[in-house]
Amino acid sequence: MALVDIVSRRSRLDRQFDELRRREEAGQLKHVTGSRFVRKFINNRLAVIGLVVFTIILLASIFAPLLTPWDPTKINLRAINQPPSWEHWFGTDKTGRDVFARVLYGGRISILVGLGSALVSALIGVIIGCYAGYVGGWVDTVAMRVSEAIMAFPELILVLVLVSILGQSLFNIMAIFILGGWCGIYRLVRAQMLSLREEEYVQALRSFGLNRGLISFKHMLPNALGPVMVNITLSTAAFILQEAGLSFLGLGVPLNIPTWGNILNVAQDLTVLQNSWWLWLPVGIFISLFVLSVNFIGDGLRDASDPTQQG
Amino acid sequence: MLTYIIRRLLIIVPMAIGISFLIFLALDLSPGDAVTRMLNPMQSVDPDRIEELRRALGLDAPMIVRYWIWLSNVLQGNFGRTLTGGVPITRTLLERLPATLELSAVALLLSSIFGAILGTISALKRGTATDNALTVAGMIGVSIPEFFFGLVAIVIFALNLQWLPVGGRLLPSYTSYWDHIPNLLMPALVLSIMMTAGVMRYARSAMLDALSREFIKTARSKGLPEWRVNLLHGFRVALTPVIVLIGFRLPMLIGGSVIIEQVFQWPGIGQWFVMAVRAKDLPVVMTVALLTVVLVLVVSLVIDILTAIIDPRVRLGGE
Amino acid sequence: MSDVALSVRNLKTFFYTNQRCNKAVNGVSFDIKKGKTLCVVGESGCGKSVTAAAIMQLLPRLSRIEEGSITYHSERGDIHIEKLERNGKPMRSIRGAEISMIFQDPMTALNPVFTIGFQIAENLRYHTKLRGHLLAAKVVDLLRTMGIPLPERRINEYPHQFSGGMRQRAMIAMAMACNPKILIADEPTTALDVTIQAQIFELMTVLKQEHGTAIMLITHDMGVVAELADDVAVMYMGNIVEAGTVEDVLRRPVHPYTRALLASMPVLGRGRGQNIEAIPGSTPDPFDRPKGCQFAPRCPYKIDACEQMPAETHTTPTHRVMCWRYEEFAANAT
Repeated sequence: MALVDIVSRRSRLDRQFDELRRREEAGQLKHVTGSRFVRKFINNRLAVIGLVVFTIILLASIFAPLLTPWDPTKINLRAINQPPSWEHWFGTDKTGRDVFARVLYGGRISILVGLGSALVSALIGVIIGCYAGYVGGWVDTVAMRVSEAIMAFPELILVLVLVSILGQSLFNIMAIFILGGWCGIYRLVRAQMLSLREEEYVQALRSFGLNRGLISFKHMLPNALGPVMVNITLSTAAFILQEAGLSFLGLGVPLNIPTWGNILNVAQDLTVLQNSWWLWLPVGIFISLFVLSVNFIGDGLRDASDPTQQG
Repeated sequence: MLTYIIRRLLIIVPMAIGISFLIFLALDLSPGDAVTRMLNPMQSVDPDRIEELRRALGLDAPMIVRYWIWLSNVLQGNFGRTLTGGVPITRTLLERLPATLELSAVALLLSSIFGAILGTISALKRGTATDNALTVAGMIGVSIPEFFFGLVAIVIFALNLQWLPVGGRLLPSYTSYWDHIPNLLMPALVLSIMMTAGVMRYARSAMLDALSREFIKTARSKGLPEWRVNLLHGFRVALTPVIVLIGFRLPMLIGGSVIIEQVFQWPGIGQWFVMAVRAKDLPVVMTVALLTVVLVLVVSLVIDILTAIIDPRVRLGGE
Repeated sequence: MSDVALSVRNLKTFFYTNQRCNKAVNGVSFDIKKGKTLCVVGESGCGKSVTAAAIMQLLPRLSRIEEGSITYHSERGDIHIEKLERNGKPMRSIRGAEISMIFQDPMTALNPVFTIGFQIAENLRYHTKLRGHLLAAKVVDLLRTMGIPLPERRINEYPHQFSGGMRQRAMIAMAMACNPKILIADEPTTALDVTIQAQIFELMTVLKQEHGTAIMLITHDMGVVAELADDVAVMYMGNIVEAGTVEDVLRRPVHPYTRALLASMPVLGRGRGQNIEAIPGSTPDPFDRPKGCQFAPRCPYKIDACEQMPAETHTTPTHRVMCWRYEEFAANAT
């Protein structure tokens, strides 16, 4: 078995080599032009699938009114707890609301919370990180201490502590996510800046007399953008998972706003869990698919922006 | 080595003090204090006696003194009383701690072992179907919400197949320690899934990184067999970053256990914490938060010491 | 042929990274002679390190030996290395015992988490029957031979506690542990100070004389070649453009590339007025190679025939060159 495996694998690799060599010698392999980054990303099958799934779910949420005639908050007591049918694709819940509509409209809020918090925390992190990493000084010291203190808390614990102090609302949840989320990107950008600062081209720019802000934002930041983009995708995924977890506990976005986590909240009830699978299974799969697609995109970005990777 | 530990302590101790002060502030600014919590709300008490009690407990002192009193109480294990019910926090804490420790320790152990093994296999079989399958599985593992995993597991194994109990920690017929393995099995496995996936992905890249180093070529050039090159020279070097990662992931495990305890009705600290957040019982919330922060700091110290032990460059004070 | 330790004939090794095929080594032939030093010179990327890796079967995953032969003339008869499985048992029993290798940067080439003694002992453990305190004594002995002071204490130290020169000595001790017939040194002193460099070369010369080890020394430094080489092979873009004894190549260079390489080097003691000439242009993109002679685009003597790849031609029994106009150049050599 093991031997067969080795032999067949070697020969597969060998066949690939033969093919490459034949095409190279026939002059078919041209110097590829265009962005190496885009090319590598597109060659990554999983990343492309992720991008497609991500786009479909995003568009479906944005254009929800075109895809479903139902109002996600409209209670209809004549059609409660119905299993999926042509009329109600994902069935209805115990107050007769259409689950498919709730999943689509819920996606709006969940994606807003995830992507929005990730983008805002990235923006804050990049600005402070850029400044602190290049200029240093007291801003850096303060930001470093604060981020250390924040990062000493397990994420979910910090979020719950803040929820118990600030109370639940959509705005509060996003603010809490951003408060906990900027440190990661701040540290990343700061570290990149610290190493870039020693590069010769930066020394050269400084000797030309360019001002520090211009150097750090215009000439150094673009070199740190790859990891920042990866980080944004990963924290989007993390925030969506956290929102789902919080809302599942009933401690996230207020229950009257449909979000993916809030829809799942009903699954705490064992009878719902066993008898009304349509209330929790489709939305759980939706969350998982969306987070998976975001993670695939993040992985693709990471590989594409890593110059040491070959293949 | 000793100076190294002292240096680490000099970073950790001020941080613990700073965070504890923040937590004290949040507590201090919240409504009510230790005296009102001690009193039975049904009885009316003479306001003068309340003032007297306050003075006796030092609650009229300036903030920094009150912080000092609070801190010395906390260090002696006295966390005050809950807002709802006025039960001493320490008592409930001690009741619930074993359950949480049991769950987290088992999950940590499972995920570290499986994660490291699967990640190593994945790296050694790089580019093959095995590697691709493991990579995709790892991605799925970090993408599915843990509680959703838990729900699916309950539906399949508890409700439909009826192999395992739905939740709780002890069966009614509990006699020996081993009797609650069926209860522990599902929560521990579900809790470890996400962390296993994380450790696996990291172990794979750490292993690939180690295998691409020049000393691997040296080891091969000595004519060593592949297992020795991979496991002794490769894995041994990849081990340090993996241990560091497991330490960093511990906070995530704590966060995960909060939700998982809720899903499986596991009577641990996490479940209590969620109840306290719902009831806005700040003393409990802050106590648990303080304890997790202390735990995270202690673990980071332990990880630092561990890496120093296994990495001679740190142990011997170089680089 | 009894004085030849290893012969390479028409070796082609291609790389297949990034969905392209890079003909890193495109048909090289040479002999490594017992007790002699063969210097392989060339700019970075010319294929000299790949040739060494091919001999050790240490090529990266996405590359393979396409054609040609690598024959190791062992005491047990000839062994065709190119036919051995990469990490199979026969290849492993040769590596480290009969052909061993030292690398450019001794810091990265030594495993940081094991002691120097352990890493040297590993080699002996796999190729000899030495165990226990005999093994330890042998390791101490080796380190002492390599000129490392206090070897008893230093075997228990880690690579980061060694200085650069000491690390490279430890690497050589590791490579020489089993008394190999051939030592391949891939730019062993590039990462070291110039003074240390001289010490390392001195050590290698002593080892060559005492043990009759054949050495293949890869370098880009013509000064090193002049100092140490018995034979020289000059590589350019995957081919050996000129090869011969050190006298042949350095005193009577024929190929325009060798000449340009020598002319680009200042000579100590000749003072300031030297006429140092840089080679015009830069090495071509390996994926967009010239059709014929690889040096043609940079060559001042280019003719139409250079559109075709010239064959390897001997000007004297020891001296060969790959150039269409070798007769003219050989005539005006001295």
